[in-house]
Amino acid sequence: MYNMIRLVKKSLIVACCLFALTGLRRAFAQQDKNGDVYTVLEPNSSDGIFNSTASYIFSVNNNSNTTQVGKVSYLVTTEANKKVRADSIRVKIDPNGSGRYSFEVAGLSPGFYKINFMVNVSDYDDTTRKAFGIKPNRIQSQYQKPADFESFWQKAKDDLGKVKPEFKVTELPDSMKDNRRVFEVEMKSLNGVTIRGFLTEPIDKNKNRKFAVLLGLPGYQVTLGPMFATDPDVAIFTINIRGSGYSRDMINVRRESYIILDLEDKNKYVLKGAVMDCVRAVDFIFSRPELRHDNIMAAGGSLGGFLAIATSSVDKRINFCSAANPILCDIRNLVHEVDWPFTDIRKYVSIRPGFTMDKALDNLDYFDCKNFGFSISCPTLIGIGLLDPIAPPNNVYALYNGIRSPKHLIIFRDLAHEIGTKYKEYEGRWMRDTFALF
Amino acid sequence: MHCFNFKKIMGPVKPFAKTLFIILILFAALQNKGFADGGFPVRPGRLLISPSVSYFFATQQWDSTGVKKPFPNGGKYTSIGITFYSEYGISRRFAAVVTLPYVYNNYMQNIAPTNNVSNGLTDMETGIRYYLANISFIYYFSLQASAITPLYGNNPRLGYGEEGAELKFAISGSGHLGKLGTYFNVYDGIRQYFGNNGPIQNRWSGTFGLSLDKRFANQVSVGLSGINSWSNDKNFISALPETNKDFSFIQASLSYGHSFSRELALFVSGGEFLTGRNTGVGNTASVALIYRLDYH
Repeated sequence: MYNMIRLVKKSLIVACCLFALTGLRRAFAQQDKNGDVYTVLEPNSSDGIFNSTASYIFSVNNNSNTTQVGKVSYLVTTEANKKVRADSIRVKIDPNGSGRYSFEVAGLSPGFYKINFMVNVSDYDDTTRKAFGIKPNRIQSQYQKPADFESFWQKAKDDLGKVKPEFKVTELPDSMKDNRRVFEVEMKSLNGVTIRGFLTEPIDKNKNRKFAVLLGLPGYQVTLGPMFATDPDVAIFTINIRGSGYSRDMINVRRESYIILDLEDKNKYVLKGAVMDCVRAVDFIFSRPELRHDNIMAAGGSLGGFLAIATSSVDKRINFCSAANPILCDIRNLVHEVDWPFTDIRKYVSIRPGFTMDKALDNLDYFDCKNFGFSISCPTLIGIGLLDPIAPPNNVYALYNGIRSPKHLIIFRDLAHEIGTKYKEYEGRWMRDTFALF
Repeated sequence: MHCFNFKKIMGPVKPFAKTLFIILILFAALQNKGFADGGFPVRPGRLLISPSVSYFFATQQWDSTGVKKPFPNGGKYTSIGITFYSEYGISRRFAAVVTLPYVYNNYMQNIAPTNNVSNGLTDMETGIRYYLANISFIYYFSLQASAITPLYGNNPRLGYGEEGAELKFAISGSGHLGKLGTYFNVYDGIRQYFGNNGPIQNRWSGTFGLSLDKRFANQVSVGLSGINSWSNDKNFISALPETNKDFSFIQASLSYGHSFSRELALFVSGGEFLTGRNTGVGNTASVALIYRLDYH
């Protein structure tokens, strides 16, 4: 196990380096003005949200010695790529000159839209893709949650309660870091599936000290090892849900097969067990006297965001929820807007006799992030990227607007399936205030 | 100003999202600012104890019109104060605060009596602080109500000998200056001493602090503070400045703080009175120890 942890650590370091390099390249691209012709897009909104009319200034700068002739245009579509507006103007830009063009898009109903700005001139063609929102607080899904949604999840919890957790905690002294003790945790979850996680606890001279807990939930098929931080007030418990990371004893499928595993039966669908694995993780936290049972934060991104929302909804022991780019929001609308996971689901449906897309969607209603949002009672933070092709802002807003507890949403206008530092800082500050860790 | 195309943004997104997505949580470390008596809430169960020693020295005074002149008869005023300050977080919203000061004052002059010494416990302050609100968990607002109790009934040289009450509003906030952390504290309190000619006072302070490292192990701060005290009793006695009721001053200060651990910090401060009325032209120095203990 120790070797596995080291391997994961190395993988994470490599991944972080790759991520850093990717970000660096993009940052350079945004500042690249060395070409003969370059464009600059200035939205008249810092977060891409407009009250009624979306407005932009699109500049074309010509550093070449030749006159650039052509057109500048824009195309507005819905998240499902249905054309809504388009316009273009002829332009002529002198050598070493520039042109600034103002675009206003009015009369749109509440929602999010994709907008492409195109420049096609003598020596340069380019498209800048953005998204914007109009009165997003009015977004609501036309699809209701199933009438037995709550009883479905209550039964799932009742079934989980019948499984003895058999918690096994093993300290890993060689993995100590950042003044933290590290424990490997093993437990039984729904249907007797074994799941594993890691708990890191600050070392404190006060033996009676109790720590707030961050329950870290994994992204899609992400392996979670021990998570470290120098924060002396917070223990971190990372859990590998069934079929993921170190919890593959009974479920070990290819990456693309995970999201469709047993989709024909909502009672057997893999995500039902995954949500219950998170509830079992809360059971573990409650079994530890050194952890505060009233200061538990569930946090994750992508699938982890979905799990944070779902767990906070079905398990009121969660006191703070943080979900970045949560997937599977407003699924019946999502099906026309994103490729993943529906390409995999359609393939699966096509090879399963008697199984249809309608039946798949009927089952997925019980796993729609939006349907969990209504019954969340703890403070909830959500982060979105306006250019997210997996968790589009329209759909995440359908979740967000249904949450009745204290909530906050941070928009990253120029990001896709990721969130920025501002989110992490706000999350830390809100969590500290909620848990009175002044 | 930016120039980029869509492929550069979207290229790595899909594989990234499907194979590796985890939020690395960075907790904002608010707790190591290491100061007391501000607008930030107090953690429930946290006891903060701060003994301090201060030294005040003056050879000049500002008269009732604000004109600076030497004390009469070559007078020199020194005051050594030992103050015990403590606050305890009762709950998320409420904290108890107590201040217990002891002073040793000496006014020396070249005529008899050459030494005028007074010493003893002075005005104890006991109060409750209430965490009012915050803005984006960065700016915090608090309100504090305190009772002033004189502990020197038979020694009129140590203060007004009157009970009083104070209501204080404070704002604190934190931020960044480059990679370094910053904070500020601003408060304004109205204090009323009860009794004949009991002054009403406006006590205010503003502090801006800058960490010299990421963890607030070392920090410096600058501050400006003052008191405006109004009373029908306009008397000014150089040898007994504690008993003057109608005065004002503004003081500037510079502090350095070092945290030895999460629990223990030391602050060294120096200050100078910039302007005033019916008060000494003073210089101050102080050393304060801050010890924090969490009971939860």
